[in-house]
Amino acid sequence: MQSPAEREILEVGSRLLTSADSSVHSPVRAIDKRALERASQDAELRTALLRFVDVAPACRSPADLAAHLIGFLGELHERPLPLDAAMRMGSSKAARAALGRAAAAGVRHVAHRFIVAEQPGDAEKVLRSLWSEGVTTSVDLLGEATLSSQEADRYAQRCLDTLDSLAGIYAALAPMPQLEADSIGPIPRANLSVKVSALTPLLRPDAPELGERDAMPRLRALLRRAKERDVHLHVDMESFDSREAVTELVLSLLGEDEFRDGPSAGLVLQAYLTDSPELCERIVAWAERSARAQPLVVRLVKGAYWDHEVVDARQHGWRSPVFEVKAECDRNFEALTVRLLKTRSHLRAAIASHNLRSVAHAIVANRALGGQPRDVEFQVLRGLGDELQRALVREGLRVRTYCPIGDLVAGMAYLVRRLLENTSNQSFLADQVRGRPLEELLAAP
Amino acid sequence: MTLGPFVNEPVLELRRGEVRDALSRGMAALERKLPLRVPAMIGERRIDGETLLSTDPGDREQVVAVATRATGQDARRAVEVVSAAAGAWASVAAEERALILLRSAAWMRERRHELAALCVRECGKPWAEADADVAEAIDFLEYYARGALALDRGASVLQVPGERNHMRYAARGVCAVIAPWNFPLAIPTGMLAAALATGNAGVLKPAEQSPACGAMVVEALRAGGVPPDAVALLPGAGDAGAALVRDPRVHTIAFTGSASVGAEIIAAAARVRGDQSHIKRVIAEMGGKNCVIVDSDADLDEAIPAIVRSAFVYAGQKCSAAARVLVHEGIADALLERVAGAVATLQIGQADVFGTDVGPLIDEEAQRRVLRYTKLAADEGVIVAAREPEVDGRGWFCPASVVTGLPADSAILRDEIFGPLLAIERVRDVEDALDRVEALPFALTGGLFCRNPQTVQSVAARSPVGNLYVNRHITGAMVGRQPFGGNRLSGSGAKAGGPDYLLQFVEGRVVTENTLRHGLVV
Ligand SMILES: Cc1cc2nc3c(=O)[nH]c(=O)nc-3n(C[C@H](O)[C@H](O)[C@H](O)COP(=O)(O)OP(=O)(O)OC[C@H]3O[C@@H](n4cnc5c(N)ncnc54)[C@H](O)[C@@H]3O)c2cc1C
Ligand SMILES: NC(=O)c1ccc[n+]([C@@H]2O[C@H](COP(=O)([O-])OP(=O)(O)OC[C@H]3O[C@@H](n4cnc5c(N)ncnc54)[C@H](O)[C@@H]3O)[C@@H](O)[C@H]2O)c1
Repeated sequence: MQSPAEREILEVGSRLLTSADSSVHSPVRAIDKRALERASQDAELRTALLRFVDVAPACRSPADLAAHLIGFLGELHERPLPLDAAMRMGSSKAARAALGRAAAAGVRHVAHRFIVAEQPGDAEKVLRSLWSEGVTTSVDLLGEATLSSQEADRYAQRCLDTLDSLAGIYAALAPMPQLEADSIGPIPRANLSVKVSALTPLLRPDAPELGERDAMPRLRALLRRAKERDVHLHVDMESFDSREAVTELVLSLLGEDEFRDGPSAGLVLQAYLTDSPELCERIVAWAERSARAQPLVVRLVKGAYWDHEVVDARQHGWRSPVFEVKAECDRNFEALTVRLLKTRSHLRAAIASHNLRSVAHAIVANRALGGQPRDVEFQVLRGLGDELQRALVREGLRVRTYCPIGDLVAGMAYLVRRLLENTSNQSFLADQVRGRPLEELLAAP
Repeated sequence: MTLGPFVNEPVLELRRGEVRDALSRGMAALERKLPLRVPAMIGERRIDGETLLSTDPGDREQVVAVATRATGQDARRAVEVVSAAAGAWASVAAEERALILLRSAAWMRERRHELAALCVRECGKPWAEADADVAEAIDFLEYYARGALALDRGASVLQVPGERNHMRYAARGVCAVIAPWNFPLAIPTGMLAAALATGNAGVLKPAEQSPACGAMVVEALRAGGVPPDAVALLPGAGDAGAALVRDPRVHTIAFTGSASVGAEIIAAAARVRGDQSHIKRVIAEMGGKNCVIVDSDADLDEAIPAIVRSAFVYAGQKCSAAARVLVHEGIADALLERVAGAVATLQIGQADVFGTDVGPLIDEEAQRRVLRYTKLAADEGVIVAAREPEVDGRGWFCPASVVTGLPADSAILRDEIFGPLLAIERVRDVEDALDRVEALPFALTGGLFCRNPQTVQSVAARSPVGNLYVNRHITGAMVGRQPFGGNRLSGSGAKAGGPDYLLQFVEGRVVTENTLRHGLVV
C-alpha cells in the first residue's frame, strides 16, 4: 500500500515526466540521446570518448586530434562500426585532417550543449530568452585551475566584471513576479556561482586555514560588489578535500557585520557525504542565529565528485566520505530536503537535481510543510535539465538554470564531469533514457 | 601459516581536523622527552661514547637526540655479537620470523603519531611526508613478512622420474644496513626487515643526521621479538659504516644513499679480507637526476601541480624528486609562466606547521651546497622563480627556485643537487627529451605528461628509468604497488617493496636426490 505522500509524489512526478518528454522534439537531441545511451552501455567506449573529449582542446591541429582519436580507439577491443570506419580513415594525411576536423566539431557540439557561451557578453541572449520563458539563472565562470595568486586575482576580476554585467543585463528585463520573491521577501534576479578553488591557489586539505585566509579578501570583494549590484552570490562546493575551508570561509564572511544587510548569498550541501546531516545541522543552527536580512540560500545537491571521492578514498585506504549505495544517497537527499524546508523562515532551500523522484519529493514535501510553490527554488544544469526546467515552469515553480560560461579548454573538466554523470549507470537521467518504467523511476529510494 | 593479503597501511587522513589534532598531541608527547638518548645497542648492552648531536633542521639550537658516535671498534663488536647469533636466528621458523615482523609493525602503528613527530623534528619532514614515512615503514614489515614466507616454500624446479629436485633459499648471514636520513624510518626499516625476514642477522648504521629515528627502527624490531643479539644499532658517521663494510664477517651490505658513497662501498666490499670465505653482496640504491617530460597535449592544470609537488615537497630532498622538466616548445612559455606563479605560492617554513611544503634542508652542508648551485643557476641561466623563506635564521632554510635557459653542459643539469632547485628546458619533441634522458648516468625516476596512448607506450619502451610515472607526480612510491629502485648509477639492486627484493638477501641451495635404485623408483 502506498502512503498518500508517495501517491502524490508519483502523481507530481508523472506529470513532470510527461510534460518534460513532450518538450523533446529536436532530432539532434534524439541523436545525442542515442549516443549517450550507447556510451553508458559500453564502459570501454565511454572511457575512450571521455579521454578524447578531455584532450581535444589541447590538440595542436586536426591531424593531432585524429592521432589522439585513433590512439584511444585503438585501445578498444570492440569498435562500433562508424568508429571502425573512422579508424581506417586515419590512413592518409588528408583523411586524418578531415577526421580531426569532424571530431573537433563533434566535441564543440557536445560542449555547446552544456556551456552557454565563451564570454559573458555572448551569454546575454541566452539569459534573456530563459528569463522570458520564466527561468532565471546562476552564471558560472569556467576557468583553468588556479595555481598562482595572479590566476586567483584574474578569476576574481572576471567575477567582479560579471557581477556588473549581470546586474546590467537583468535590470533591463521585464518584471517576472514569480521569480522575484518568495514568502520571505524579494529575491535578486541575477545570480553568480563562484568556486573557492579558483579564488586561491592555497586550498590545502591538511591546512584549511591557509586557503581560507588567502581566499578571504577576494571573496569579500565579490560580496561587496554583489551587495552594491544586488546580485546573489553563491559559493559552489567542490571535493571533500576543500569542504572544511569552503564552509568555514563562507560562514565566517557572511557572519561579518558588513554583510548583515546583503548581499543575498548561499552555499551548497552535498547529500552524498555521509556526514552531511551533521553539517546541515550546523548550517541550520548558524542560519537560525544569523541576523542577516536576506536569509542564507542552501543549495542541496547530491554531489558532483562521487567517482573522485570513491577512488581517492580507495587509493589511500580511507573510509569513503560518500555513500556508496545510491539509494542511501537519495534517501539522505530527501531527509535533508525536509530538514531544510522546515527551517524556512531562516534559510532558503534550493533543490538542485535532475532526478524526478527527488524533485517530486521536494515539491510534495514543501506543500506538506505549508510552503507556497514559490518558497522552494529548483535548480538544473544547462544541457542536462533543459526538459525538466520547462516542465517545472509549467508547474508554476521557481526555476534557476546553472549556466557555465567559458572557452572549451577551460570548460573541459566541467564537460567531462557532466558527461560522466550523464552516462553513469547510476544516474537517473541514464535510467530515464533507457526507458525504465515510470513507477520504478519514481519509487521511494 | 597463511597471512591475509598485503594491504598498504593507510596514511592519515589529514584533511580531518581531529586527525591533525592527534598528530599535534603526538608532537607534544615527543617534545616532553627531548632530547632522546641514542646509545649503540649491541646485544643487551647499551654503549655510550663520544657524542653525536642530532638537531632540529628547523632550529639548530634544539637538540633532538644525543647519540653515541660509534667507532670502528664498536662496529666490530656489533658484528661479532650479531654474527654469533646469526645461526640461531636463521633456524627460527620462517613463520615465527614473519609474526615477529608483524608485531613490530603493530608496535609502530600504535606509536605512529609520535614516530611521525620524530621524523618532523629530526629530519624536518612536513607532516604529510613524515606520516607517509611511518606508513611505509609499516608496509615494509608487512610486505616482507609475507614475501619471506613465500620464499621459504622454495622455488619450483623441473622433476623427472628417478630424481627429486628441491630448491630452497637460505639466509646469507650478517647484513650491514647503511641508511640515509631522508626516509629515516622507512628505508632502514625496509632494508633491515628484508634481512631479518629471510633469516639474516643485522646491524643498522643509520645516517648521522637521523640516529633517533634509526633507534626507533631497532626498538620496534626488538619489541616485536627479534632477539637483541640478532639486531644491533650502530649510530655514527660514515666511518662506522665503512668499518662494517670492511668487516670480513659481514655477508650482505644493504646501502641506500649517494652514488659516490655507494661506489666506494662496492669497491671496498669487493676485497676479500683475512679469513673471509665468501664474496660480499652489495645492494646499493643511489641518487637520481629525475626528469619530467611534458608533451604538447599535456593538461597543464594537472601537470604543473604535480611537477611542483615532485620538485619541491620536502625541499626536493627525495631521491625520486623532479630535478629537470623537459617541455615541448609549443607549450613551454605557458608552462614556465604558470610554474613560476605556482612556486611563488609554496609555503616555506617549519615542518611542524600544517600546510608547509618546503621545510628546512637537512643540515648546514646541504644548505651551503644548495645555495652554491642556486647561485650557479643565476650565473648560467635565467631564474624564473625564487621563493624566499620567510622564517628566522635558526634553521637550514633556502629559497625554492626555478631556472631555465641553462647551457647543455651545465652542472645543474647533471649533478644531483638534492634541494629545491628545478631546471626547465625546452625540447623539440618527446624524442628530443628522451635523448637527453638517455644521456644521463642516473636512471631512477621519470615522469611523462601526455595524453596520447601511443606516445605513452613509446616513452615507456625507451625510458631507462627504474620508475616511470605517467600523468602524475613522480614521488611517493608505494610498497607493493610501485616497487622502487633505479638503474644505471642510481642503483644496483632489485626493486624495494617488490616481488624480487628479498632474493638479494638469500642464497639458493638445491638438493637433488637420486631416487632410482636397481631400476626401482623409490
Ligand atoms: C544547479 C546545480 C548546481 C550544482 N552545484 C553543485 C555544487 O556546487 N557542488 C557539487 O558537488 N555538485 C553540484 N551540482 C551537481 C550535482 O551534484 C550533480 O548534478 C548531481 O549529483 C546529479 O544528481 P541528480 O539528483 O541530478 O541525479 P541522480 O541520478 O539522482 O544522482 C546522481 C548522483 O548520485 C550520486 N551517486 C552516484 N552513484 C552513487 C552511489 N553508488 N552511491 C551513492 N551515491 C551515488 C552522485 O552524487 C551522482 O552525481 C549541481 C547541480 C545543479 C543542478
Ligand atoms: N635510490 C633510493 O632508493 C634512494 C632513497 C633515498 C635516498 N637516496 C639517496 O641518498 C642520498 C641522500 O642520503 P645521504 O645524504 O644520507 O647519503 P650518503 O651517501 O651521504 O649517506 C648514506 C649513508 O652512508 C653512510 N656512509 C657515508 N660514507 C660512508 C662510507 N664511506 N662507507 C660506508 N658508509 C658510509 C652515511 O653515514 C649514511 O648512513 C641521495 O643521493 C639520495 O638520492 C636514494
